[in-house]
Amino acid sequence: MSHSRRRALIAGLSLFALLPTLGGARAQGADPAAATDFITRTGNELVALVNREGMPVAERRAAIAAILRRAVDIDGVGRFVIGRYWRIATAAEQREYMQLFEQIIVRNLSARFGELRGVKYTVNRGMQRTEEDAIVSTTIERPNAAAAVVEWRVSRTDNGQLRIVDVIAEGTSLRLTTRSDYAAVVQRNGGKVEGLLAALRQQLAQITEREQANAR
Amino acid sequence: MSDLPAVPDLGTESPCRAASVARRPFGRLGMALALATGLGLSACATVPPASDPEALAEFRETNDPIEPLNRTVYTFNEGVDTLLVRPAAETYRILIPPPIRSRVGNALANLREPVTLLNDLLQGRPDRAEATLSRFLINSTFGLLGLFDVATDWGYPRHSEDFGQTLATWRAEEGPYLMLPLLGPSNPRDLLGRVVDTVSDPFTWVLPDGAGTARTATGVIDTREGLIEPIDTVRREALDPYAQIRSLYRQRRNAEIENRTAPRSP
Repeated sequence: MSHSRRRALIAGLSLFALLPTLGGARAQGADPAAATDFITRTGNELVALVNREGMPVAERRAAIAAILRRAVDIDGVGRFVIGRYWRIATAAEQREYMQLFEQIIVRNLSARFGELRGVKYTVNRGMQRTEEDAIVSTTIERPNAAAAVVEWRVSRTDNGQLRIVDVIAEGTSLRLTTRSDYAAVVQRNGGKVEGLLAALRQQLAQITEREQANAR
Repeated sequence: MSDLPAVPDLGTESPCRAASVARRPFGRLGMALALATGLGLSACATVPPASDPEALAEFRETNDPIEPLNRTVYTFNEGVDTLLVRPAAETYRILIPPPIRSRVGNALANLREPVTLLNDLLQGRPDRAEATLSRFLINSTFGLLGLFDVATDWGYPRHSEDFGQTLATWRAEEGPYLMLPLLGPSNPRDLLGRVVDTVSDPFTWVLPDGAGTARTATGVIDTREGLIEPIDTVRREALDPYAQIRSLYRQRRNAEIENRTAPRSP
Protein backbone atom coordinates (compact mmCIF):
# COMPACT_ATOMS: atom_id res chain seq x y z
CA MET A 1 0.00 0.00 0.00
CA SER A 2 1.45 3.36 -0.99
CA HIS A 3 1.94 6.07 1.52
CA SER A 4 -0.67 8.43 0.03
CA ARG A 5 -3.30 5.74 -0.23
CA ARG A 6 -2.82 4.80 3.39
CA ARG A 7 -3.16 8.43 4.38
CA ALA A 8 -6.37 8.71 2.36
CA LEU A 9 -7.70 5.60 4.06
CA ILE A 10 -6.92 6.98 7.52
CA ALA A 11 -8.53 10.28 6.59
CA GLY A 12 -11.60 8.42 5.35
CA LEU A 13 -11.84 6.33 8.49
CA SER A 14 -11.51 9.28 10.81
CA LEU A 15 -14.18 11.14 8.87
CA PHE A 16 -16.40 8.08 9.28
CA ALA A 17 -15.70 8.06 12.99
CA LEU A 18 -16.69 11.71 13.20
CA LEU A 19 -20.07 11.20 11.55
CA PRO A 20 -22.01 10.00 14.60
CA THR A 21 -20.81 13.05 16.54
CA LEU A 22 -22.04 15.37 13.81
CA GLY A 23 -25.37 13.53 13.70
CA GLY A 24 -25.64 13.77 17.47
CA ALA A 25 -25.07 17.49 17.39
CA ARG A 26 -27.82 17.93 14.84
CA ALA A 27 -30.45 15.91 16.75
CA GLN A 28 -32.58 18.03 19.05
CA GLY A 29 -34.48 17.03 22.15
CA ALA A 30 -34.32 13.57 23.67
CA ASP A 31 -33.20 10.84 21.31
CA PRO A 32 -34.95 7.49 21.81
CA ALA A 33 -31.88 5.35 22.48
CA ALA A 34 -30.53 7.70 25.15
CA ALA A 35 -34.01 8.03 26.68
CA THR A 36 -34.42 4.24 26.85
CA ASP A 37 -31.02 3.92 28.47
CA PHE A 38 -31.91 6.65 30.99
CA ILE A 39 -35.24 4.99 31.90
CA THR A 40 -33.58 1.57 32.21
CA ARG A 41 -30.89 2.92 34.55
CA THR A 42 -33.39 4.87 36.70
CA GLY A 43 -35.80 1.90 36.70
CA ASN A 44 -33.09 -0.51 37.85
CA GLU A 45 -32.14 1.81 40.71
CA LEU A 46 -35.77 2.18 41.83
CA VAL A 47 -36.63 -1.53 41.56
CA ALA A 48 -33.52 -2.51 43.53
CA LEU A 49 -34.55 -0.12 46.30
CA VAL A 50 -38.23 -1.07 46.32
CA ASN A 51 -37.50 -4.80 46.50
CA ARG A 52 -34.72 -4.60 49.10
CA GLU A 53 -35.66 -6.53 52.23
CA GLY A 54 -35.41 -5.17 55.74
CA MET A 55 -34.93 -1.50 54.95
CA PRO A 56 -36.69 0.89 57.35
CA VAL A 57 -39.72 2.61 55.74
CA ALA A 58 -38.47 6.16 56.25
CA GLU A 59 -35.02 5.31 54.88
CA ARG A 60 -36.47 3.59 51.80
CA ARG A 61 -38.74 6.59 51.18
CA ALA A 62 -35.85 9.05 51.44
CA ALA A 63 -33.72 7.00 49.03
CA ILE A 64 -36.57 6.83 46.48
CA ALA A 65 -37.15 10.58 46.84
CA ALA A 66 -33.46 11.24 46.09
CA ILE A 67 -33.68 9.26 42.82
CA LEU A 68 -36.89 11.07 41.83
CA ARG A 69 -35.34 14.50 42.46
CA ARG A 70 -32.55 13.58 40.04
CA ALA A 71 -34.75 11.90 37.39
CA VAL A 72 -37.86 14.11 37.21
CA ASP A 73 -38.02 17.62 35.72
CA ILE A 74 -39.94 18.90 38.73
CA ASP A 75 -39.87 22.58 37.71
CA GLY A 76 -41.07 21.78 34.20
CA VAL A 77 -43.88 19.53 35.42
CA GLY A 78 -44.89 22.13 38.03
CA ARG A 79 -45.18 24.82 35.38
CA PHE A 80 -47.13 22.51 33.06
CA VAL A 81 -49.54 21.50 35.80
CA ILE A 82 -50.45 25.03 36.94
CA GLY A 83 -50.97 25.99 33.29
CA ARG A 84 -52.35 29.45 32.56
CA TYR A 85 -52.64 30.35 36.25
CA TRP A 86 -48.83 30.76 36.45
CA ARG A 87 -49.19 34.13 34.74
CA ILE A 88 -51.82 35.49 37.13
CA ALA A 89 -49.86 34.32 40.20
CA THR A 90 -47.72 36.92 42.02
CA ALA A 91 -43.98 36.28 42.33
CA ALA A 92 -44.49 35.23 45.96
CA GLU A 93 -47.31 32.86 44.97
CA GLN A 94 -45.15 31.34 42.21
CA ARG A 95 -42.35 30.71 44.70
CA GLU A 96 -44.62 29.11 47.27
CA TYR A 97 -46.38 27.03 44.61
CA MET A 98 -43.08 25.59 43.36
CA GLN A 99 -41.93 24.75 46.89
CA LEU A 100 -45.22 23.02 47.73
CA PHE A 101 -45.40 21.23 44.38
CA GLU A 102 -41.86 19.87 44.70
CA GLN A 103 -42.58 18.45 48.15
CA ILE A 104 -45.94 16.98 47.16
CA ILE A 105 -44.94 15.31 43.89
CA VAL A 106 -41.80 13.75 45.36
CA ARG A 107 -43.51 12.49 48.50
CA ASN A 108 -46.63 11.21 46.70
CA LEU A 109 -44.56 9.35 44.12
CA SER A 110 -42.22 7.99 46.81
CA ALA A 111 -45.24 6.62 48.68
CA ARG A 112 -46.56 5.02 45.47
CA PHE A 113 -43.22 3.40 44.60
CA GLY A 114 -42.72 2.31 48.20
CA GLU A 115 -45.89 0.17 47.95
CA LEU A 116 -44.67 -1.79 44.94
CA ARG A 117 -43.13 -4.86 46.66
CA GLY A 118 -41.98 -7.64 44.33
CA VAL A 119 -42.18 -5.44 41.25
CA LYS A 120 -40.60 -6.38 37.91
CA TYR A 121 -40.47 -4.32 34.77
CA THR A 122 -39.50 -4.75 31.14
CA VAL A 123 -38.83 -2.07 28.55
CA ASN A 124 -41.15 -2.67 25.59
CA ARG A 125 -39.97 -2.52 22.03
CA GLY A 126 -41.30 0.15 19.72
CA MET A 127 -40.40 3.74 20.43
CA GLN A 128 -42.60 6.76 20.00
CA ARG A 129 -41.30 10.22 19.83
CA THR A 130 -42.73 13.67 19.49
CA GLU A 131 -40.91 16.76 18.27
CA GLU A 132 -39.32 17.37 21.66
CA ASP A 133 -39.70 14.23 23.73
CA ALA A 134 -39.15 10.50 23.58
CA ILE A 135 -41.70 8.15 25.11
CA VAL A 136 -40.32 4.94 26.62
CA SER A 137 -42.86 2.19 27.19
CA THR A 138 -42.50 -0.34 30.03
CA THR A 139 -44.61 -3.21 31.34
CA ILE A 140 -44.85 -3.34 35.11
CA GLU A 141 -45.60 -6.68 36.75
CA ARG A 142 -46.51 -7.22 40.38
CA PRO A 143 -47.60 -10.33 42.28
CA ASN A 144 -51.40 -10.88 42.11
CA ALA A 145 -52.07 -7.88 39.88
CA ALA A 146 -52.70 -7.43 36.18
CA ALA A 147 -49.65 -6.31 34.22
CA ALA A 148 -49.78 -2.60 33.41
CA VAL A 149 -48.24 -0.64 30.57
CA VAL A 150 -46.56 2.50 31.90
CA GLU A 151 -45.00 5.01 29.53
CA TRP A 152 -42.33 7.52 30.53
CA ARG A 153 -42.12 10.78 28.66
CA VAL A 154 -38.50 11.93 28.60
CA SER A 155 -37.33 15.41 27.66
CA ARG A 156 -33.94 17.11 27.46
CA THR A 157 -33.77 20.14 29.75
CA ASP A 158 -32.14 23.43 28.74
CA ASN A 159 -28.84 22.36 30.25
CA GLY A 160 -28.85 19.09 28.29
CA GLN A 161 -29.95 16.67 31.02
CA LEU A 162 -32.51 13.93 30.33
CA ARG A 163 -35.48 14.17 32.68
CA ILE A 164 -38.88 12.48 33.06
CA VAL A 165 -41.70 14.96 32.33
CA ASP A 166 -44.73 12.64 32.46
CA VAL A 167 -45.88 9.16 33.48
CA ILE A 168 -48.66 7.66 31.37
CA ALA A 169 -50.33 4.65 33.00
CA GLU A 170 -52.77 2.69 30.84
CA GLY A 171 -53.37 5.73 28.67
CA THR A 172 -53.81 8.26 31.47
CA SER A 173 -51.21 11.00 31.86
CA LEU A 174 -50.26 12.04 35.37
CA ARG A 175 -49.49 15.64 34.43
CA LEU A 176 -52.74 16.10 32.44
CA THR A 177 -54.81 14.63 35.28
CA THR A 178 -53.07 16.83 37.84
CA ARG A 179 -53.53 19.89 35.63
CA SER A 180 -57.31 19.41 35.48
CA ASP A 181 -57.32 18.79 39.22
CA TYR A 182 -55.50 22.06 39.97
CA ALA A 183 -57.56 24.02 37.42
CA ALA A 184 -60.78 22.83 39.09
CA VAL A 185 -59.50 24.00 42.49
CA VAL A 186 -58.56 27.47 41.17
CA GLN A 187 -61.95 27.82 39.44
CA ARG A 188 -63.86 26.77 42.53
CA ASN A 189 -61.96 29.43 44.46
CA GLY A 190 -63.08 32.28 42.22
CA GLY A 191 -60.05 32.02 39.91
CA LYS A 192 -57.61 32.78 42.74
CA VAL A 193 -54.24 31.02 42.98
CA GLU A 194 -54.38 31.44 46.77
CA GLY A 195 -57.20 28.84 46.82
CA LEU A 196 -54.86 26.34 45.17
CA LEU A 197 -52.02 27.18 47.55
CA ALA A 198 -54.32 26.66 50.56
CA ALA A 199 -55.36 23.22 49.22
CA LEU A 200 -51.71 22.29 48.56
CA ARG A 201 -50.66 23.37 52.07
CA GLN A 202 -53.41 21.22 53.52
CA GLN A 203 -52.38 18.26 51.37
CA LEU A 204 -48.75 18.59 52.45
CA ALA A 205 -49.85 18.53 56.08
CA GLN A 206 -51.84 15.33 55.43
CA ILE A 207 -48.87 13.70 53.68
CA THR A 208 -46.63 14.52 56.65
CA GLU A 209 -49.20 13.03 59.02
CA ARG A 210 -49.43 9.81 56.97
CA GLU A 211 -45.66 9.47 56.72
CA GLN A 212 -45.33 9.76 60.49
CA ALA A 213 -48.10 7.20 61.02
CA ASN A 214 -46.46 4.74 58.58
CA ALA A 215 -43.00 5.15 60.08
CA ARG A 216 -44.23 4.08 63.51
CA MET B 1 -63.67 4.96 7.87
CA SER B 2 -65.35 7.78 5.95
CA ASP B 3 -67.80 5.46 4.16
CA LEU B 4 -69.44 4.52 7.43
CA PRO B 5 -72.93 5.83 8.15
CA ALA B 6 -73.14 9.36 9.47
CA VAL B 7 -74.00 9.55 13.13
CA PRO B 8 -75.90 12.44 14.63
CA ASP B 9 -73.92 14.77 16.85
CA LEU B 10 -74.84 13.72 20.36
CA GLY B 11 -74.47 17.27 21.48
CA THR B 12 -71.62 19.28 22.92
CA GLU B 13 -74.07 22.10 23.60
CA SER B 14 -76.73 21.56 26.22
CA PRO B 15 -79.82 23.39 27.40
CA CYS B 16 -77.62 24.58 30.26
CA ARG B 17 -75.63 27.00 28.15
CA ALA B 18 -78.65 29.18 27.53
CA ALA B 19 -80.13 28.73 30.97
CA SER B 20 -77.01 29.17 33.03
CA VAL B 21 -77.58 32.86 33.75
CA ALA B 22 -80.20 31.95 36.32
CA ARG B 23 -78.35 30.13 39.08
CA ARG B 24 -80.25 28.13 41.67
CA PRO B 25 -83.50 30.10 41.45
CA PHE B 26 -85.51 27.41 43.24
CA GLY B 27 -83.05 26.33 45.92
CA ARG B 28 -83.61 22.87 47.30
CA LEU B 29 -86.81 22.31 45.33
CA GLY B 30 -84.96 23.14 42.13
CA MET B 31 -82.26 20.63 43.05
CA ALA B 32 -84.86 17.95 43.73
CA LEU B 33 -86.53 18.70 40.41
CA ALA B 34 -83.18 18.67 38.69
CA LEU B 35 -82.38 15.31 40.24
CA ALA B 36 -85.77 13.98 39.21
CA THR B 37 -85.61 15.20 35.64
CA GLY B 38 -81.91 14.77 35.15
CA LEU B 39 -81.51 18.32 33.95
CA GLY B 40 -82.55 21.61 35.36
CA LEU B 41 -81.76 25.26 35.81
CA SER B 42 -80.05 24.80 39.15
CA ALA B 43 -77.92 22.00 37.73
CA CYS B 44 -76.02 24.24 35.35
CA ALA B 45 -72.46 25.46 35.67
CA THR B 46 -71.72 29.17 35.24
CA VAL B 47 -70.41 29.97 31.78
CA PRO B 48 -67.43 32.36 31.89
CA PRO B 49 -67.99 35.73 30.14
CA ALA B 50 -66.85 36.19 26.54
CA SER B 51 -64.36 38.81 27.80
CA ASP B 52 -62.26 35.97 29.24
CA PRO B 53 -61.49 33.78 26.21
CA GLU B 54 -59.04 31.51 28.08
CA ALA B 55 -61.60 30.73 30.77
CA LEU B 56 -64.21 30.13 28.09
CA ALA B 57 -61.87 27.75 26.22
CA GLU B 58 -61.22 25.88 29.45
CA PHE B 59 -64.97 25.68 30.15
CA ARG B 60 -65.55 24.15 26.70
CA GLU B 61 -62.68 21.70 27.16
CA THR B 62 -63.99 20.62 30.56
CA ASN B 63 -67.36 20.15 28.81
CA ASP B 64 -69.27 19.63 32.03
CA PRO B 65 -72.23 22.01 31.74
CA ILE B 66 -74.27 20.28 34.46
CA GLU B 67 -71.32 20.08 36.87
CA PRO B 68 -73.29 21.04 40.03
CA LEU B 69 -75.77 18.20 39.42
CA ASN B 70 -72.95 15.81 38.48
CA ARG B 71 -71.15 16.65 41.72
CA THR B 72 -74.31 15.90 43.74
CA VAL B 73 -74.60 12.51 42.04
CA TYR B 74 -70.86 11.95 42.63
CA THR B 75 -71.30 12.58 46.37
CA PHE B 76 -74.18 10.08 46.41
CA ASN B 77 -72.08 7.49 44.52
CA GLU B 78 -69.16 8.02 46.90
CA GLY B 79 -71.49 7.31 49.84
CA VAL B 80 -72.77 4.09 48.27
CA ASP B 81 -69.22 3.06 47.44
CA THR B 82 -67.87 3.75 50.93
CA LEU B 83 -70.76 2.01 52.68
CA LEU B 84 -71.37 -0.95 50.37
CA VAL B 85 -69.28 -1.50 47.25
CA ARG B 86 -65.72 -1.00 48.52
CA PRO B 87 -66.33 -3.08 51.68
CA ALA B 88 -67.80 -5.86 49.51
CA ALA B 89 -64.74 -5.71 47.22
CA GLU B 90 -62.40 -5.80 50.23
CA THR B 91 -64.25 -8.80 51.70
CA TYR B 92 -64.07 -10.55 48.34
CA ARG B 93 -60.30 -9.95 48.24
CA ILE B 94 -59.81 -11.23 51.79
CA LEU B 95 -62.03 -14.34 51.48
CA ILE B 96 -61.36 -15.50 47.93
CA PRO B 97 -57.75 -16.53 47.11
CA PRO B 98 -56.11 -14.96 44.04
CA PRO B 99 -56.23 -18.05 41.76
CA ILE B 100 -60.02 -18.30 42.18
CA ARG B 101 -60.49 -14.55 41.71
CA SER B 102 -58.52 -14.87 38.51
CA ARG B 103 -60.85 -17.70 37.30
CA VAL B 104 -63.89 -15.53 38.10
CA GLY B 105 -62.40 -12.59 36.18
CA ASN B 106 -61.66 -14.85 33.20
CA ALA B 107 -65.19 -16.27 33.14
CA LEU B 108 -66.73 -12.78 33.27
CA ALA B 109 -64.43 -11.59 30.50
CA ASN B 110 -65.35 -14.60 28.38
CA LEU B 111 -69.05 -13.72 28.65
CA ARG B 112 -68.15 -10.26 27.23
CA GLU B 113 -66.54 -11.64 24.07
CA PRO B 114 -69.73 -11.70 21.88
CA VAL B 115 -70.18 -7.93 22.46
CA THR B 116 -66.51 -7.32 21.64
CA LEU B 117 -66.86 -9.48 18.51
CA LEU B 118 -69.91 -7.52 17.31
CA ASN B 119 -68.10 -4.22 17.84
CA ASP B 120 -64.87 -5.44 16.18
CA LEU B 121 -67.05 -6.07 13.11
CA LEU B 122 -68.94 -2.76 13.38
CA GLN B 123 -65.58 -0.98 13.57
CA GLY B 124 -64.53 -2.70 10.34
CA ARG B 125 -61.77 -4.78 11.97
CA PRO B 126 -62.11 -8.38 10.71
CA ASP B 127 -58.59 -9.14 12.03
CA ARG B 128 -59.58 -8.27 15.60
CA ALA B 129 -62.97 -9.97 15.15
CA GLU B 130 -61.20 -13.17 14.17
CA ALA B 131 -59.01 -12.99 17.28
CA THR B 132 -62.08 -12.40 19.48
CA LEU B 133 -64.00 -15.31 17.92
CA SER B 134 -60.97 -17.59 18.32
CA ARG B 135 -60.64 -16.55 21.95
CA PHE B 136 -64.31 -17.21 22.66
CA LEU B 137 -64.25 -20.66 21.03
CA ILE B 138 -60.93 -21.69 22.61
CA ASN B 139 -61.69 -20.42 26.12
CA SER B 140 -65.29 -21.69 26.19
CA THR B 141 -64.08 -25.24 25.38
CA PHE B 142 -60.42 -25.85 26.30
CA GLY B 143 -60.65 -23.08 28.88
CA LEU B 144 -63.56 -24.83 30.64
CA LEU B 145 -66.38 -22.30 30.04
CA GLY B 146 -63.94 -19.42 30.19
CA LEU B 147 -62.43 -20.17 33.60
CA PHE B 148 -58.97 -20.40 32.02
CA ASP B 149 -57.64 -17.92 29.49
CA VAL B 150 -55.70 -20.40 27.36
CA ALA B 151 -56.27 -18.28 24.24
CA THR B 152 -53.79 -15.64 25.46
CA ASP B 153 -51.06 -18.32 25.67
CA TRP B 154 -52.04 -19.47 22.17
CA GLY B 155 -51.39 -16.05 20.71
CA TYR B 156 -54.79 -14.36 21.04
CA PRO B 157 -54.44 -11.74 23.80
CA ARG B 158 -57.64 -10.20 25.15
CA HIS B 159 -58.97 -6.86 24.02
CA SER B 160 -62.27 -5.27 24.81
CA GLU B 161 -64.64 -3.27 22.63
CA ASP B 162 -68.05 -1.77 23.29
CA PHE B 163 -70.62 0.21 21.35
CA GLY B 164 -69.52 3.51 22.91
CA GLN B 165 -66.10 2.96 21.32
CA THR B 166 -67.74 1.97 18.04
CA LEU B 167 -69.73 5.23 18.00
CA ALA B 168 -66.46 7.09 18.57
CA THR B 169 -64.81 5.37 15.60
CA TRP B 170 -67.85 6.49 13.59
CA ARG B 171 -66.88 10.05 14.59
CA ALA B 172 -69.78 10.64 17.00
CA GLU B 173 -69.01 13.37 19.57
CA GLU B 174 -68.89 12.24 23.20
CA GLY B 175 -71.18 15.03 24.40
CA PRO B 176 -71.16 16.62 27.86
CA TYR B 177 -69.75 14.76 30.86
CA LEU B 178 -72.32 12.85 32.88
CA MET B 179 -72.06 11.34 36.35
CA LEU B 180 -74.65 8.58 36.44
CA PRO B 181 -76.17 7.37 39.70
CA LEU B 182 -74.48 4.05 40.68
CA LEU B 183 -72.95 3.60 37.21
CA GLY B 184 -70.42 6.43 37.56
CA PRO B 185 -68.68 8.56 34.90
CA SER B 186 -70.17 8.64 31.40
CA ASN B 187 -71.38 10.84 28.55
CA PRO B 188 -74.32 10.56 26.12
CA ARG B 189 -72.22 8.52 23.66
CA ASP B 190 -71.14 5.99 26.29
CA LEU B 191 -74.60 5.90 27.89
CA LEU B 192 -76.17 4.99 24.55
CA GLY B 193 -73.33 2.51 24.07
CA ARG B 194 -74.14 0.83 27.40
CA VAL B 195 -77.78 0.38 26.42
CA VAL B 196 -76.86 -1.10 23.04
CA ASP B 197 -74.23 -3.38 24.68
CA THR B 198 -76.82 -4.76 27.09
CA VAL B 199 -79.41 -5.34 24.37
CA SER B 200 -76.94 -6.83 21.88
CA ASP B 201 -75.35 -9.17 24.45
CA PRO B 202 -76.75 -12.68 23.81
CA PHE B 203 -76.14 -13.60 27.45
CA THR B 204 -78.60 -10.88 28.52
CA TRP B 205 -81.29 -13.02 26.92
CA VAL B 206 -79.92 -16.55 27.33
CA LEU B 207 -78.99 -16.60 31.03
CA PRO B 208 -81.84 -17.32 33.48
CA ASP B 209 -82.84 -14.35 35.69
CA GLY B 210 -80.87 -15.41 38.75
CA ALA B 211 -77.72 -16.08 36.74
CA GLY B 212 -77.96 -12.68 35.03
CA THR B 213 -78.18 -10.90 38.37
CA ALA B 214 -75.31 -12.99 39.75
CA ARG B 215 -73.24 -12.07 36.71
CA THR B 216 -73.90 -8.35 37.21
CA ALA B 217 -73.19 -8.46 40.95
CA THR B 218 -69.99 -10.49 40.51
CA GLY B 219 -68.93 -8.12 37.73
CA VAL B 220 -69.30 -5.10 40.01
CA ILE B 221 -67.34 -6.74 42.86
CA ASP B 222 -64.62 -8.07 40.54
CA THR B 223 -64.15 -4.69 38.82
CA ARG B 224 -64.14 -2.80 42.13
CA GLU B 225 -61.62 -5.23 43.64
CA GLY B 226 -59.23 -4.44 40.79
CA LEU B 227 -59.72 -0.72 41.39
CA ILE B 228 -59.14 -0.65 45.16
CA GLU B 229 -55.61 0.80 44.92
CA PRO B 230 -56.15 3.16 41.94
CA ILE B 231 -59.25 4.73 43.54
CA ASP B 232 -57.57 4.93 46.94
CA THR B 233 -54.69 6.77 45.24
CA VAL B 234 -57.07 9.28 43.65
CA ARG B 235 -58.86 9.86 46.96
CA ARG B 236 -55.53 10.30 48.73
CA GLU B 237 -53.66 12.43 46.19
CA ALA B 238 -56.34 14.50 44.43
CA LEU B 239 -57.17 17.98 45.63
CA ASP B 240 -60.52 17.58 43.85
CA PRO B 241 -61.24 13.86 43.25
CA TYR B 242 -64.31 14.67 41.13
CA ALA B 243 -62.17 16.69 38.69
CA GLN B 244 -59.46 14.00 38.57
CA ILE B 245 -61.97 11.24 37.86
CA ARG B 246 -63.52 13.33 35.08
CA SER B 247 -60.10 13.75 33.47
CA LEU B 248 -59.08 10.10 34.04
CA TYR B 249 -62.34 8.80 32.56
CA ARG B 250 -61.92 10.82 29.36
CA GLN B 251 -58.25 9.93 28.92
CA ARG B 252 -58.93 6.26 29.57
CA ARG B 253 -61.84 6.14 27.11
CA ASN B 254 -59.74 7.85 24.42
CA ALA B 255 -56.97 5.30 24.96
CA GLU B 256 -59.54 2.49 24.64
CA ILE B 257 -61.02 4.01 21.50
CA GLU B 258 -57.57 4.26 19.90
CA ASN B 259 -56.70 0.76 21.16
CA ARG B 260 -53.72 2.10 23.10
CA THR B 261 -54.40 0.06 26.24
CA ALA B 262 -52.41 -3.07 27.05
CA PRO B 263 -53.78 -6.50 26.28
CA ARG B 264 -55.06 -7.84 29.58
CA SER B 265 -53.18 -10.70 31.13
CA PRO B 266 -53.85 -12.31 34.52
